[in-house]
Amino acid sequence: MISFLSKIGSFYYREYKLNLSGFQDILTNIIFFFVSIFIFIFSIGPEKETISLIGVGIVWTLLLLSSTLSLRKFYQDDFENGNLLLMRLNGFSYGFISILKTFSHFLFVQVPFLLSIPIACILLNIANDKVVYLFASFAIGSLILSCLGSISSSMNLMNQRNFLLGSLIVMIFSVPIIIFSVGIINMEKNFYSLMSVLVGILLIVFSINPWASGLCLKLSLENN
Amino acid sequence: MFLFNPYKFNKTADYLFKPILFLSIILFSFGLLYSLFLSPDDYQQGTTVRIMYVHVPSAWLSLMTYAIMTLYSVAALAFRIPFGFIVNSAIAPIGAVYTLICIISGSLWGKPMWGTWWVWDARLTSVALLFIIYLIIIFMNLSFENRIVKEKVIAIFILVGSINLPIVKFSVDWWNTLHQPATISKLSKPSIDPSMMTPLIIMTFAFIMIGISIAILRIKTEIISRKSNLR
Repeated sequence: MISFLSKIGSFYYREYKLNLSGFQDILTNIIFFFVSIFIFIFSIGPEKETISLIGVGIVWTLLLLSSTLSLRKFYQDDFENGNLLLMRLNGFSYGFISILKTFSHFLFVQVPFLLSIPIACILLNIANDKVVYLFASFAIGSLILSCLGSISSSMNLMNQRNFLLGSLIVMIFSVPIIIFSVGIINMEKNFYSLMSVLVGILLIVFSINPWASGLCLKLSLENN
Repeated sequence: MFLFNPYKFNKTADYLFKPILFLSIILFSFGLLYSLFLSPDDYQQGTTVRIMYVHVPSAWLSLMTYAIMTLYSVAALAFRIPFGFIVNSAIAPIGAVYTLICIISGSLWGKPMWGTWWVWDARLTSVALLFIIYLIIIFMNLSFENRIVKEKVIAIFILVGSINLPIVKFSVDWWNTLHQPATISKLSKPSIDPSMMTPLIIMTFAFIMIGISIAILRIKTEIISRKSNLR
């Protein structure tokens, strides 16, 4: 049991080393996020009313886009240099690898975005009382996005020709998430009902994720 | 058992193909004649109601094709019936074309009735998502190198994407949409006049027959191409 826990601990230490010691990757993602906000503002025009009306939608769209940028790092690098096989040989099942990877993606890629939301709210002139709702919806929605990213990037491990397909899959399945989480922010009276719908989606995706991505990982490792 | 075994399917399809093709031509020409000339105009919509005889069958069949693909994916993954993979890659383009017909005829119908080509309500959005899911299945078919990985990954994707099916079906009941709820259901008496119901049913069977005949051709081609790849 203790050796199993220490294996998990060393797994997360490795992920921490990979993701945060090369901090410029995440910093590049966050800078991509802010530069896209600038471009959105310049293309719409700097009127305060318009921007605060559609600001929440812009934040969500760009969070989705910039989290699909890091999709390639999800399994592909570990698959190509053989680390995925080593994890499997260390006694982790395929489904468990996908759960671990999903949480590490959430911790090391999505949480830095959570910290950059307040600055984005200042830039986009979003009201202060809405920031809490934005935080709450993004904390759940980003975990859903991590699960979807795990599914789509494990599907595209053996796909050498068309890697954009992975981000397409994430974007297709994230449509209901965006609908409900933007709804949370714009209709504060329905906060708890919409939040429970979002948590329900999270539970569905979270229960599908180990099965689907574990099966895809198994297929790709066995037929490589 | 011809639905699960490629060899038996080939033998049965040889008998069935010509009658089904003949039946589809007859049903389609008769259905078009009935629905475009013999059926009455609607008292409110006038002659544009005739779009229904193309729109509704193609919408039903786009859902039905996806349901068939889901069943065959379950059969292929859980019971190890490889014929399911053949069917999946063969009938995905048919479903995509039906969905495209549904979307185009629907927006042609929406322009005179609702005053707009497209609204972002639940039914229309979920059907557009269904179309994009079909397109992703087709692209996945084209972009993988390894055949074994490809077909299983596509089956998993079909199962994950089948979440969309109940959303398409019940979106008109769950949300307030501009699109009307279903008029024809099994549980209650249909709220459509028999003079419009008859051509609708004829057209539905014509669409089913056309779909089956194209599916037979495509599945036979798929079986032949897999045989030639194995050598």
